[in-house]
Amino acid sequence: MKNAKCFLIEGSNCAENHPMSMKWITQAKDNGAVVIHVDPRYTRTSQIADIYVRIRPGTDIAFLNGVAKYLIDNKLYDEYFVLNQTNALYLVDEDFGFADGVFSGYNAADRKYDNSSWSYALDGNRKPRVAESIDDPRCVMARTREFLKRYDLKTVSDITGASEDQIKLVAETMAKNRPGTCMYALGMTQHTVGLQNIRGFGLVQLLLGNIGRPGSGINALRGEPNVQGSTDMACLFGYLPGYLAPPNHNVADLDTWTSSTGTFRLTFLINLLKTWYGEHATPENEYCFNWLPKKNGTVDYSIFSMFESAITEQKLKVLYCVGQNPLVTQPNLNVVFDGLKNMEMVIVQDPFLTETACFWERPGTDASTIDTEVIYLPAAAFLEREGTLSNSGRLVQWRYTGITPPGIAKPDLEIIDLIFRKVRDLYAGSTAAKDVPLLNITWDYPNEDNPTFAEAVLKELNGYNLVTGELNKGIGELKADGTTSAGNWLYAGVYANGVNLSKRKDNQTDPSGLGIYPGFAWSWPGNMQVLYNRASCDLEGRPYDEENKLIWWDEAQGKWVGYDTPDVPNAAHGPDTPNGQKPFRMSGEGVGRLLALKYQDFEPDAVLPRDTSSVPADGPIPEFYEPVESPVSNILHPAVHYNPCTVYPRKGMEEYQPIGTVDEYPYVLMTSSLAEHWCAGSVTRNMTWLNEMYPEPIIEMPVTLAERLGVKNGEQVKVWSARGEMKVKAHVTNRMQTMIIHGQEVDVVWMPYNWGFKGLSTGPSTNYLTIDAGDPNTRIQETKACLINICKV
Amino acid sequence: MKLSRRSFIKLVGATGAGLSLTQLGFNVQPIEAASNECRIHSAKEYTSICNFCSCGCGMICHVKDGKLINLEGDPDHIINEGALCSKGASQYQVPYASHRGTTPLYRAPGSDRWEEIDWDTAINKIAQKMKDTRDENWIAEETVGGQTYKVNRTDAIGFLGGAQINNEECYLFTKMARGMGACFLEHQARV
Repeated sequence: MKNAKCFLIEGSNCAENHPMSMKWITQAKDNGAVVIHVDPRYTRTSQIADIYVRIRPGTDIAFLNGVAKYLIDNKLYDEYFVLNQTNALYLVDEDFGFADGVFSGYNAADRKYDNSSWSYALDGNRKPRVAESIDDPRCVMARTREFLKRYDLKTVSDITGASEDQIKLVAETMAKNRPGTCMYALGMTQHTVGLQNIRGFGLVQLLLGNIGRPGSGINALRGEPNVQGSTDMACLFGYLPGYLAPPNHNVADLDTWTSSTGTFRLTFLINLLKTWYGEHATPENEYCFNWLPKKNGTVDYSIFSMFESAITEQKLKVLYCVGQNPLVTQPNLNVVFDGLKNMEMVIVQDPFLTETACFWERPGTDASTIDTEVIYLPAAAFLEREGTLSNSGRLVQWRYTGITPPGIAKPDLEIIDLIFRKVRDLYAGSTAAKDVPLLNITWDYPNEDNPTFAEAVLKELNGYNLVTGELNKGIGELKADGTTSAGNWLYAGVYANGVNLSKRKDNQTDPSGLGIYPGFAWSWPGNMQVLYNRASCDLEGRPYDEENKLIWWDEAQGKWVGYDTPDVPNAAHGPDTPNGQKPFRMSGEGVGRLLALKYQDFEPDAVLPRDTSSVPADGPIPEFYEPVESPVSNILHPAVHYNPCTVYPRKGMEEYQPIGTVDEYPYVLMTSSLAEHWCAGSVTRNMTWLNEMYPEPIIEMPVTLAERLGVKNGEQVKVWSARGEMKVKAHVTNRMQTMIIHGQEVDVVWMPYNWGFKGLSTGPSTNYLTIDAGDPNTRIQETKACLINICKV
Repeated sequence: MKLSRRSFIKLVGATGAGLSLTQLGFNVQPIEAASNECRIHSAKEYTSICNFCSCGCGMICHVKDGKLINLEGDPDHIINEGALCSKGASQYQVPYASHRGTTPLYRAPGSDRWEEIDWDTAINKIAQKMKDTRDENWIAEETVGGQTYKVNRTDAIGFLGGAQINNEECYLFTKMARGMGACFLEHQARV
């Protein structure tokens, strides 16, 4: 980050929630970088920014589309990059279009798209046809320009509350100061248009050529210490380790799986299956592919459905919860509480007794009416156990341990192992078809060769050459014939040559001078620091910026070389080959996608695709929709107010999921964490130092609103939404301001969400107020914008 | 000669082995005197990574007589260069916080209290309940849109969590869930 010349921080208060990122932002600022902060609330991050833009919660797409349109209209984009390294010139299917608030193929009955028209015009080799010039009205760039036409400065200003000058200033500043980077956090994702918010960054950064170079890119500031690693390891219903698709009910064999995912990923699935099913996995039985459980592809398996299905159909009966406290962090907590109540057993494994573990003790609850068995398992805290975690930059680092947990608490690794072994013991000897995969999945840690538990597992993730028995040195060694294994292909190489590279600490060697430090810990994939770094070079493989170069094509050596691991399909495939022209090799097209259209990439004459590009459920380009609960109408298309693919309330949940309207709930609430308290507060509210600094939850409100309500700073107020109510102290501040939207006053208020009824510091949980309407792609809720009312107590 | 703080200390520490430090331009005696007074003198040291946001800051922990006596930002770490934020620094309080759970607990249906149980009891109860639930709610085949498919799963057991635990733990959690045939598997990435 220190290499950036411009920062667009939007939907993040990194000064408080990712303080160490601010160290590098200020360093870049000392070197002349410009910092832009876009946020509804003036925070400590705004304070260090050169440009602060206040926008209304939930209007990021309008803002970013406004910036993109300005860049295009004023030819401020990087023309060489856009023409050569994005899909700008590809011809779009003639049936693709957008009208009356929806894209082509919309089915209003089930609120879904048939996306068959969201595709390219293909040639005889199944490749996209390419326009001769950017002026061809059928090409992606022309269609993008046409789509963005509605996002003129006045309209964007009307929607967002930012002034026309501010929008212009942001676009011009970003264009003038390159490379620039975007930084975001939950302020962008916790919306019913969360995925498209991030696509908005993608659009702007592709136009500016701000990808793959030092100081460029789109940085997700992820909210948990190992949320990158837990996502890599697929503690998610929609993935297997390494972002591989788990099979749906109708995926009967590997060919069917591959027809929608591609042969590129099939190799990695086979390595996973070899790891899990060992000698049982053979080419003849498709590596035991059918031992994997198959989810019903028509049913939602998200955390929301866990609790909702427990209420509507008593589906989920046993919940095993490790280090997560949903009875504070989930939106619309009434659903979580009633869901837990309806389960037969809840197991909570955590260093502290959490609200989730003690849900039956919730104030106002008659415990005798709750039949759930609850078991609390005391877990070691992170200082008391070893293993790796992966930070937001994919840096995999080893944690040592030197102390033991209190009492008879145990490390999570041991507890998981104890439970699984005991379950298997209970099934010992069974020959029932349903028990065969359970009894035969490999599970042997630690063992003679690997006496350390965590390292034994890390080696399994890295995987082996099953012929020689050696640990894999990298992803390039993985084969699709069952002769190699890897529990997670992305981690192949972390244990190259039998050395645990996550333990490395060389903080002196940085040949690039850019802060790459190739000998410090290890980044996936293949110790690569900057993803898409091929995009930092032109068509010939020469760095755009010779002084800050990362990688380049070395003609003499006949390979891609550099200070970072080159992000290319094959280091020996030069710029004169198709593989040498894939700056975005993880998309099917191999180039950046202004429009994220459907595409399957085929090798000549192949039946199965090599790779498949992903397409958002709600459109190939971000369109602005209002939050589900919004104080104003949608001026772009009043009839399509919020995301047309969001279903809310969900089936059977009508009673729990009302939609509040502006006449009853006139103010917009946004929530977040603090410098002092974090997420559920399960840990931070048990730290006396932190409680002293920030003892209780509050509501921040503009001075103008407080005057109208007759509320003084520090006085108690009642806050309520269509879902719940609570009392907190008012913090009257200029940090929040009354905004003018479409000529009407809109008040935005803010609350931290980190409190609950357990721990040293207790207080009301803000999430009894928030809405659980979700993004149709990610299902993540709209906690950054819902409607509430406030009065003096 | 470029020296990091820690390699400097290591080098200084090596003076006991009889090396001269005059090349560094230091008077050795005051440094030895200062280290004698230092509270982490003779403490065992290990490194960890902070457990709050995902910056991945390095920490040094000092242990004496099995107790954590000091925690500070690792000055040789490329991300935080010795600094820690308010939350990170407070982690020093985690191992001995008053509300830490020290033993497994059980709350019976309808009860208003916890009772202490041992690990064997806890694990046995959990495993038996998981087995019974899995057996009673196994879906070998299901009909979707008029067609019958082999699906081999249970929707009655859910697994939740991961962002607070290490990669190896996440991976085993996933492997256990999938191994048992579960599809309800989620964590904080969806918050």
